[in-house]
Amino acid sequence: MEYIGVPQIVLGVIASFWPVWLALAIVLGASIVYKKRLGLYGQLFDSGVGITGVAICFFWLFTAIFASTVAHFDPLAQVPVMKDALPGAIVPDGRGVYLFGGDKLARDVFSRMVYGSQIVLIIAPAATAFALMVGITLGLPAGYYGGRIDAVLSFLANLVLAFPVILLFYLLVTPGIMDTAIPYGLAGVFFLFPIIFFLTLFYTRFKGRPDRAYLLLGLTILIGGWIYAGLVFSADPLGIVSISPNQLNIFVAVVFASSPGVFRIVRGLVMDIKTRDYVAAAQTRGETPWYIMLWEILPNARGPLIVDACLRIGYTTILLGTLGYFGLGLAPESPDWGTAIKDASRLLRSFIHPALPPTIALMSFVLGLNLLADALREQSMKD
Amino acid sequence: MNEAVKAANVTGAEPIIDIEHLSISFFTRRGEIPAVMDFSCKVMPGEAMGIVGESGCGKSTVSLGIMRDLSNVGKIVGGRIKFKGKDMGELTEEELRSIRGNEIAMIYQEPMASLNPAMKIGQQLMEVPILHDKVSKEEAYRRALETVHAVKLPDPERMMRSYPHQLSGGQQQRIVIAMALLSKPALLLLDEPTTALDVTVEAGIVQLVKGLGKELGTSMIFVSHNLGLILETCDRITVMYSGEAVETGNIKDVFDRMRHPYTQGLFRSIPLPGADKNSRPLIAIPGQLPLPHERPKGCNFGPRCHHFVEGVCNADEIPMIPVEGHENHFSRCVRFNEIDWNALPEGAKEKKEPVRPGAPMLKVADLRKYYKVAANEIFGGAEPRTVKANETISFIAHESETIAIVGESGCGKSTLAKVLLGLETASSGTVTLGNKEIQSTGIEDRDVETVSSIQMVFQNPFDTLNPSHSVGSQIIRTLEKFNVGKTVAERRQRMLELLDLVKLPRAFAERMPRQLSGGQKQRIGVARAFAGNAKVVVADEPVSALDVSVQAAVTELLMDIQRKNKTTMLFISHDLSVVRYIADRVVVMYLGYIVEQGTTDQIFSPPYHPYTEALLSAIPIADTSVVKKHIVLDGDIPSAMNPPSGCPFQTRCRYKHLVPDNLCETQVPPVKELGGGHKSLCWLSDDVLAKMEPVIRFDANHVAQEGVPDDAPHGAGPGFAGEPPQRPHGKNASAPAGEFGEHAEEVEATIRASGHEHRDETSEPHAADDHSHVAPFREQEVGDGRQAVDPDVPSAFEPTEEENEEDAKKK
Repeated sequence: MEYIGVPQIVLGVIASFWPVWLALAIVLGASIVYKKRLGLYGQLFDSGVGITGVAICFFWLFTAIFASTVAHFDPLAQVPVMKDALPGAIVPDGRGVYLFGGDKLARDVFSRMVYGSQIVLIIAPAATAFALMVGITLGLPAGYYGGRIDAVLSFLANLVLAFPVILLFYLLVTPGIMDTAIPYGLAGVFFLFPIIFFLTLFYTRFKGRPDRAYLLLGLTILIGGWIYAGLVFSADPLGIVSISPNQLNIFVAVVFASSPGVFRIVRGLVMDIKTRDYVAAAQTRGETPWYIMLWEILPNARGPLIVDACLRIGYTTILLGTLGYFGLGLAPESPDWGTAIKDASRLLRSFIHPALPPTIALMSFVLGLNLLADALREQSMKD
Repeated sequence: MNEAVKAANVTGAEPIIDIEHLSISFFTRRGEIPAVMDFSCKVMPGEAMGIVGESGCGKSTVSLGIMRDLSNVGKIVGGRIKFKGKDMGELTEEELRSIRGNEIAMIYQEPMASLNPAMKIGQQLMEVPILHDKVSKEEAYRRALETVHAVKLPDPERMMRSYPHQLSGGQQQRIVIAMALLSKPALLLLDEPTTALDVTVEAGIVQLVKGLGKELGTSMIFVSHNLGLILETCDRITVMYSGEAVETGNIKDVFDRMRHPYTQGLFRSIPLPGADKNSRPLIAIPGQLPLPHERPKGCNFGPRCHHFVEGVCNADEIPMIPVEGHENHFSRCVRFNEIDWNALPEGAKEKKEPVRPGAPMLKVADLRKYYKVAANEIFGGAEPRTVKANETISFIAHESETIAIVGESGCGKSTLAKVLLGLETASSGTVTLGNKEIQSTGIEDRDVETVSSIQMVFQNPFDTLNPSHSVGSQIIRTLEKFNVGKTVAERRQRMLELLDLVKLPRAFAERMPRQLSGGQKQRIGVARAFAGNAKVVVADEPVSALDVSVQAAVTELLMDIQRKNKTTMLFISHDLSVVRYIADRVVVMYLGYIVEQGTTDQIFSPPYHPYTEALLSAIPIADTSVVKKHIVLDGDIPSAMNPPSGCPFQTRCRYKHLVPDNLCETQVPPVKELGGGHKSLCWLSDDVLAKMEPVIRFDANHVAQEGVPDDAPHGAGPGFAGEPPQRPHGKNASAPAGEFGEHAEEVEATIRASGHEHRDETSEPHAADDHSHVAPFREQEVGDGRQAVDPDVPSAFEPTEEENEEDAKKK
């Protein structure tokens, strides 16, 4: 078997990412030029930490978007000769080079890492978004009303938090449970929250202006219902929205485990903000509690929530890796980083190269998110 | 109070601290922002120097500069600070550390922020001598105990064993003072030490500080916004404006014969005795404090000054010019010898007709509000306890009348407001608005008309607007809730009219609240309260967090709108001087009870309720001709959780021994009619009441114009009498317009902690016979407070945009 040298590997990797570099250059260039007009996002470009964080996050985002162009091979395609090939091995029939070598099933490690980003970047932010929705919708009344509602909701949240996470995941994604209706039931509940959230949001604000209210409420029900039907019942009439049962499970597990955290943050923030005079001013003009929660309190809690969301995406990414490592959830041949690390770990003593790329990818993405969160926190403290 | 000065001014005495041409800048990544320029002052041993000025004028920066504690962005860029003859600039970090807390001690505004909540008081106090004097633990304990005695705290041994949170605010501040005194400092820096405290507690602290200064011979620098407080505590005063000292001199000279227009403006905008909302309204200073990078050439106060002369005031930077005939009196004004100090600014108008109160609008009868405090929501547990926040509250408010509700924190005035507005429902009694009983209707059950007819103006301007929505949209939302206007366009039009009403440019509709200054935000708060043509407006300390000159403008605005709309106003305040100025009738509250009520004149003249008397005496008055009876109450306000038996005030009352049979401690006194609707909750007999003397009198022998008569030879002429000002970096920041140092702002913000600056100036009944000896600033006749342009003074570091000023000018 023939190999290319280390410099060629490096150059090859850099060259493969050409659409990513191009997109990065355009986006970052534009952001720096217009940073004064971009609010908090623009301020990120004032610090080195912020630029690094944004760059890393965008790098993986664009990698996921342009995965088919960046990767040279199908993530599932096997070229038998290439089993456990070392980095830089040239595929005999001249179809290209296994830049990071091949794994034990003779698949291209580089391409799998690139395609793995797609799975991670879809599931992690989406699951975090749902966790945020659930946490916010429950945290607002708990913090605002206090008393019994708070006691009950906090007790439930603590219950979930007190349960060992890994055990929880094992339970949720074991085949026995997967065959029952529990995951679908939970998904049905969780996915309902965003719809409730947006309905309340628009209803409270535009109650006095029926023309706007009906339009927005109708749109919410239409779009929300469509996605809901697709995700929970796999019954999307248009056939666009769908999710595999495995992924749905992971999704439910992640939302279930991280929403109590969001809940507690929101509850704390609301308890602080509700003592402000502008909340009292809203009360004295006769606003409903939900209007106050959603329109007076929530916008002022956004700073800490954005930071938390960034950190949480990173945490979820690691969680996905962990799940993949245990072989839970996603299909065994899935190219996601956790599963890839698990596959490679079996042969770690003899071949280290299949394990390194997904590990580094996971690490760098989480690092990027943490830097981003740090920079956001720092910048939002400044005004 | 001036004996100490005279003793100290003996020639040859070495000043404790000598500041020469000090300039301090904050360096941010957007450039240099000068915070203090060319500041000079000398403090002799045993002398107390007051530094007075509005927020953002650099007064706190000076005190931090003396400590050399300017964080990492502040830097001394010029001048020298000599402490006991040593140049502080040449000291090493280590030498500085041995001076800080040892020879120079500092006392901050928030006592709780200066104490470590995790350590017992005793341990914290003992640290000081152990650290600085390296004494044994026993010796340190002995000294600590001694100092706790010295600051007049009850039961010192117990205090030493307590944690800070177990003490009240006043006690905490006494501990902080004790800590500062432990090392026997030569210089004490006090940065608004009483601003966070109640007036009666403040009076105690002020007395303590004064006494200690005399006993120990400690020099003091007293930073405050409160001219009255400075008068009571200091020997000399420096007035600061926009980073510069504009006038400095002995208290008497500056108070009675000020020679800078800004100082005069300050005095004219505080309600001193003699001001009256109908015949002698307050005069606000027009315009805004210039931003650090937009300071004008020449006199910084020029653009806001009535005496500004083109080519003279803005010709060159102005030095401190000595005032003829006064020792150590300097003013940074080139024209002070040419100005007619008695002239009123243009725009001063005729008297206003007193408002005639109409039909009763709001009737409160025997109102009670009790809270149940339960131990635990989910598991139940301990017996619920009752907090009596309001007890037997009865009063009537008429149309277009202003009723002031006065009391210190915890007296139940905010609870009363909540019940009126429907945020809480009453436990018993009735509240009648118009002819509708509303005491048990919560806000959610009230109809739109009721909600819109009773509205509120809130205390904290930084909190009253939601920072996430634009100013216009917040007003429009209010209109929407009150069913004003049918379409979006109509409401928008009405919103713009409301902006006109509160004298703000219409362009402000698109602004976010953070782009507005405190006074401007408060105006939006007023606009919002009047959006639905409110019949009753509850104003909860609407001006107490604002700067003095802005207070005047907002107060006048509030009264103007009230006059126009015939609104009933309930003005909640702890500040009797504003109350004296604004109110028609006064209700004094203490621990949930109304202890006294009557017309303003009845309340401010004897017979008093003992609590009202103490309250009147506690308030510092910025007038050298006023003589006050000093009544300092013992202890603190009892907790509402555990109120005393009998009369609520019996624990602090100094008349208790005059009541037979120990009635005060056993029974709640009956409401005593004193004639003319004047009611008092007290056991005192009529003859004791009749013997009461007025708390505030004007000193008959006071000569306001002592020093040099006005016909004294004038100075050497404008601008040539002093050295040129020394400003190493100029007075404008290098930062481009529109960009500001958040760092500088942060520094300022931490100093001012939480933005709650309670202001109290004062005023008392105006004795009829004092016209012969009034101070010059009171010789004016009528003044109309409202200038054509009166947007408020923002903090120097607040990001207000350029257009902000332009808008103001257009108007």
